[in-house]
Amino acid sequence: MPEIKKYDAIVIGGGHNGLTAAAYLGQAGKKVLVLERRHVLGGAAVTEEVFPGFKFSVCSYVVSLMKPNVMRELMLPRFGLELLPLESTFTPLDNDYLLRTADGDQTYREIARHSAQDAETYMRFGPLMGQIGMAVRPILETIAPNAIRPTISDLSSGKKLLDHIKSLSSEQFEYLTKLMTMSSADFLDEWFEFEPLKATMSTSGIIGTFMGPRSPGSAYVMLHHYMGDIDGAFRAWGFQRGGTGAVSMAIARSAEHYGADIMTEAPVEKVIVKNGRAIGVALENGDEYGSNIVISGLDPKLSFLKLLDEHDLPSDFVQDIKHFRIRGSSGKVNLALDGLPNFTCLPGGGHHLRGAISISPSYDHLEKAYDDAKYGNFSQKPFMDIILPSVLDPDMAPPGKHVMSCFVQYAPYDINGGWDDHKREAFGDAVVNAIAEYAPNIKDIILHRQVLTPADLESIFGLTEGNIFHGELTLQQLFSLRPAVKWADYSTPVKNYYQCGSGTHPGGGITGSPGEMAAKKILGIW
Amino acid sequence: MSYNNQFTAETQLKVSPFFERTSKLNESQEWRRWSGYLAATNYELTHENEYFAIRTKAALLDITPLYKYIIEGPEAQRFLDRLVTRNIYICKVGQVMYTPWCDEYGKVIDDGTVQRLSEHKFRITSAEPNLEWLQYNATGMDLIISDDSVSTAALALQGPNSRVILNTTANDSLDSLKFFWMMDTKFGDIPVSISRTGYTGDLGFEIWLDPKDALSVWDLLLEKGNPYGITPTGLQALDIARIEAGLILLDVDYISSRHAIIEARKSSPYELGLGWAVKMQKKDFIGKQALQREVAGGSEWEFMGIEIQWSELENHYRNVGLAPRLPSTAWRTSTPLYYNQEQVGYATSGAWSPILKRYIALAHIKSPFAKEGTVLDFELKVEHYRKLTPAQIVKTPFFDPERKRSCPK
Amino acid sequence: MAQFDAIVIGSGVNSLVTAAILGKAGKKVLVLESRNEVGGLASTLEFAPGFKCNIIHDTLKWIDPRVMTELNLESHGLEWIIPNVVRIALGKNDKHITFHRDPKKTADSIAHLSKKDADVWEEFITYIDKSVNFLERLYQLTPPSVPNMGLSEALSMRSMLGPVFKHGSRGVVDLMRVMPMMMPELMDEWFENALLRSAVATAGIHHLSFGPFAAGTGYNLLHQHTHSGGVFHNIKFAKGGTIGLANALKTVAESYNVTIETNSQVSSIDTDNDICNGVTLVNGKSIKASITVSGLDPQNTFINLVGAPKLNPNFQTQLRNIKYRGSTARIHFALKDLPQINNISAEMMKTVFSIAPTIEYQEKAADSVKYGIVANEPTVEFTIPSFINPDFAPDSKHVLSATVQYAPYHLRNQKWTNSIKEDLIKTVTQMLENYIPNFPTLIESSMAISPPDLESEFGLTEGNLNHGEMTLDQFMFMRPTISAAQYSTPIGNLYICGPGTHPGGGLHCTNGFNTAQKIIKDY
Repeated sequence: MPEIKKYDAIVIGGGHNGLTAAAYLGQAGKKVLVLERRHVLGGAAVTEEVFPGFKFSVCSYVVSLMKPNVMRELMLPRFGLELLPLESTFTPLDNDYLLRTADGDQTYREIARHSAQDAETYMRFGPLMGQIGMAVRPILETIAPNAIRPTISDLSSGKKLLDHIKSLSSEQFEYLTKLMTMSSADFLDEWFEFEPLKATMSTSGIIGTFMGPRSPGSAYVMLHHYMGDIDGAFRAWGFQRGGTGAVSMAIARSAEHYGADIMTEAPVEKVIVKNGRAIGVALENGDEYGSNIVISGLDPKLSFLKLLDEHDLPSDFVQDIKHFRIRGSSGKVNLALDGLPNFTCLPGGGHHLRGAISISPSYDHLEKAYDDAKYGNFSQKPFMDIILPSVLDPDMAPPGKHVMSCFVQYAPYDINGGWDDHKREAFGDAVVNAIAEYAPNIKDIILHRQVLTPADLESIFGLTEGNIFHGELTLQQLFSLRPAVKWADYSTPVKNYYQCGSGTHPGGGITGSPGEMAAKKILGIW
Repeated sequence: MSYNNQFTAETQLKVSPFFERTSKLNESQEWRRWSGYLAATNYELTHENEYFAIRTKAALLDITPLYKYIIEGPEAQRFLDRLVTRNIYICKVGQVMYTPWCDEYGKVIDDGTVQRLSEHKFRITSAEPNLEWLQYNATGMDLIISDDSVSTAALALQGPNSRVILNTTANDSLDSLKFFWMMDTKFGDIPVSISRTGYTGDLGFEIWLDPKDALSVWDLLLEKGNPYGITPTGLQALDIARIEAGLILLDVDYISSRHAIIEARKSSPYELGLGWAVKMQKKDFIGKQALQREVAGGSEWEFMGIEIQWSELENHYRNVGLAPRLPSTAWRTSTPLYYNQEQVGYATSGAWSPILKRYIALAHIKSPFAKEGTVLDFELKVEHYRKLTPAQIVKTPFFDPERKRSCPK
Repeated sequence: MAQFDAIVIGSGVNSLVTAAILGKAGKKVLVLESRNEVGGLASTLEFAPGFKCNIIHDTLKWIDPRVMTELNLESHGLEWIIPNVVRIALGKNDKHITFHRDPKKTADSIAHLSKKDADVWEEFITYIDKSVNFLERLYQLTPPSVPNMGLSEALSMRSMLGPVFKHGSRGVVDLMRVMPMMMPELMDEWFENALLRSAVATAGIHHLSFGPFAAGTGYNLLHQHTHSGGVFHNIKFAKGGTIGLANALKTVAESYNVTIETNSQVSSIDTDNDICNGVTLVNGKSIKASITVSGLDPQNTFINLVGAPKLNPNFQTQLRNIKYRGSTARIHFALKDLPQINNISAEMMKTVFSIAPTIEYQEKAADSVKYGIVANEPTVEFTIPSFINPDFAPDSKHVLSATVQYAPYHLRNQKWTNSIKEDLIKTVTQMLENYIPNFPTLIESSMAISPPDLESEFGLTEGNLNHGEMTLDQFMFMRPTISAAQYSTPIGNLYICGPGTHPGGGLHCTNGFNTAQKIIKDY
């Protein structure tokens, strides 16, 4: 065995959670090595100049869930974190539109144009969801207790949670229960009547999830997205200057500031396990690094079924990980544009291009898109969450040109017949056609097009099945069951081997939370 | 001198049907948001003339941004009686009632006036949108609720000369129109409804009209009112007047229980000095049971007037070498009140009353300390330093002229 | 002075159980039924001259064992017919799966299609049975009032610990996993054969408006299997038809001096200051009682009979948000002869047949609910009740009763009409013809019962047979609403005992039993 360089901790995967864990460990004085397979850091939170002069947040494209304490504790603003607010949500309709902005009066008036009752309800709904978010937050910020063999600290955090739940009002508890179990459509139907409003709000419940707005369980995903918190304001989505990769870079710089070594183009082959303990990692090129602790930021399937040998793990755990549902349902289309799209229903520039553009005119539109995918095809008329980063941050594209990021659902990983070049292009065409229904000039202004199918997301970013959340956010895959019972507290059946990716509690999105909590768990043990 | 200018930005706020006139008259270009409308803060550079118009002449205010709903149908009376705390069964056609309404926990949602337009038709006004709540509680009842906020424009003509101006403008005399009653009449051939109501605590009227007639009515009133000192008036002057009258303002003096989020922010009618408007002998109304419990157990808070004592106030300033500084406009910052160093309340709005020459405020005070005549300590900032200065609890209204209620002999 | 201690509105099985238990406890009870006979959803109907059918339920999946013993139903005329074959999932090319009372035999039947699946069948049964064990305990409890559960309530739930000791905490975890699952997820973990996956999944969508791809169908599957004694798709038949259960309950109730008045429709539940003091009948007669129990669904009980204007706004909101959405239709065929199903012998005919080749097939049928149309290829379950109870049809003739999903109450841009029902009969006839080749020629007459029919005949809001969807958001302390989940309601002295309460729908009588216990505890 060649001489092995010894670290306190090795983090596998330079995604934002891995980097967050590394930064926290570095901050605590540990010597940390981060190993990234690709040539760029950030994992799914990455910016790349895909076409000369055009930069894209290739995969994750908005930031809302990043925990403020992580930003502060790791001093991320000092290392380049600059979040610009996304000002509006624009839903183009056939001969009309719905435009919600940051201003209450303006939004009230706009919604009242369609439904006076909804406008009123909307003003109550936001604060209510904020309250529910507050109620959920302590749960999300607790290391999930072991439900089978609780330790003393599990019991005390369980007691704390129980006390917290008992402190909720009956109304909060009722809505929380509903959000945990209902479909986002059913939940919203209890509040609103104007369908494009409901459909657009319901999309928070399907993003990154293989469900339609009428699928029970999607309300929880909606709540997960409502936890978005920029500058303390709930549900305020933001765009990182320089793309989401700049978030990762800020965390990476913070980690380096605290002494972490970061290696790119260093794909890990295996975690080295000896006597049931992780003692280091072996790279694909044969290099080996020793370490007291190994942490994987990859998804559960990769962390356990690829990096370890099954015989190093208990069989019921292997079974649970195999049963862990990771289903890719979304694709990404990145467009380099010669100008701005011109929407028939609201021509010209304006506020509506400075925020999210949601192709979600009705529940039927979303459900039909889901039906296509449910039976193994990509959506002919997909749901899309579109932003124009270059409108907010001109440096993303050459002067006068623009980049457009289209998050597209649904594109099932398990497409009938498998993904190939032909299907990828057909998928890209469906996306462009769907945009052209509302902004016909789009076809004339596309300079370049990058189409990423779930299969591409898997091969480029190592996301199993192309699932952006490292596993469905369904009730049976949350909290003490994420990713598997007994091992939801970031530890694993292999001693000194930890997990910190989105496949752990509290789940996906650019939150930094799994990375932070895993690091804190590890440091608590040290 | 004045500067000729043109404001060209298109506003994203709503404008009332009087905007074409009010925008030209607003020399200060000071606007506030009121229910999503652009509303004049004051028309002149200071609000003083407008304030004195309310108290000595006649002030004309655009109150179109009020929310207005029409409730019509055989069960409209039953519905409203269940909705509000006052007894709608005794409200006669042509009568107007001021009333709060509560949620089932007896906490105030909003307050406004109920006008009985005919046997089966009412108009209710409110500060915040209430359509959702109204619709909700109308389930299974034979009535129709329609949003009248945009379909009816409204002006307030307030002040001692308001009656004479209307008498010269309207086809009918208003001499016999009693306080909190209303009548239909015409200005020439323009039909209007006039209620003897207002938010100033003075003699005054509110005029309800079709928005298409808005500009004609405005012009007519300014023309006929000119000899009597009619003055377009903004919200700053109104704010002082309503404090003098002891009238509460939603989102300033209390928060609607529909939006309060936490219990501590909610108030019952008793805690807002509106106990007189709760008719417990009514068979049933929303919040009755909770309010019965409150009556039995006593309210936690009371809503009172306070008067900041002049000589001590003056002394605080004298000590730093200054003449007393008084707020030039009404303030809305919650200000602590103490009794023996313990905070026992907070004032929610206050103003120097130019007509009374007193510094007055409206305050929430914990019941045990809320006796009239009790002197509390009011927190005051004098040259950046916090001071306590005595403020005596007094009854509201602070200003209550006889002309408000009386009719000419 | 009140003539009765308690009035029970409705005479479905739960109402009868509540009445009987209260009667047994010495209360003077009056049952008011609007129809001309007792039984509610257990009723039979002569739908063509000489032909009878079980209007809704052909089978009884489970009955609360406490009801069986406490009311001693078997000595009051209830006779069981217990088939050995509990279900046959009809497959293509006559390759069916037969579910037997004996799991080994079921496994044998599965083995023809998949050896691998047959091997894990018994393990699967055990897995489901373990989870069901927890539910059985939970079902016997009055749900706690949350979130501020009192100590005594917490203690009352200690019976839940029994199965924990028996199966270990992993059992609880499995329950937590299965309840929110969707059928394909659960099936992915166990089986590969499409017909088997689909045949199991039918238990997850039973009487639901959702398809098998809906999270929470796991819960519905478990619900169907409480007290199943480890028999998957367990069923029993009552001698004389399902009404036999109601008749036995009626006999017991009357033996405890319960007065049962049929043709007595209640027009209002009378309250004064949120306290219930009795009811008024359609004929104008008022009846006072210190306790009123409604077996009707929450919409009828509160919005219609108490009256929306008398409900506090918050409770009204909750009531209005209850999901009903009936999506199940019934079709009864009067047949000239016993239908012959390929590859099925006569002795296997006393069972339930299902037509649902794949999970995706069922999901596509469920998609129709979203778009407000009747499924053109529905999931169909059918029985031949006349083969079980020969008096259901004239000599040598037969009745075939089918349960059809999905036929949603809410059709997009149209109302249910006779021609839609005719179309549905045609659709089902064609489907049956695939398995019973001469089926169309056997039909003497037929009758379709749509969700709106169920609403008008049985007062089921939106035609929902469960008085509210059996979904996780309407489970336990949320059923029917968070403020009325303890069988008592925000209206004093008014109780509810129908399937709209915990633990939900079916003819298992648990709701009625729990309600009676709660009332006895309260008074």
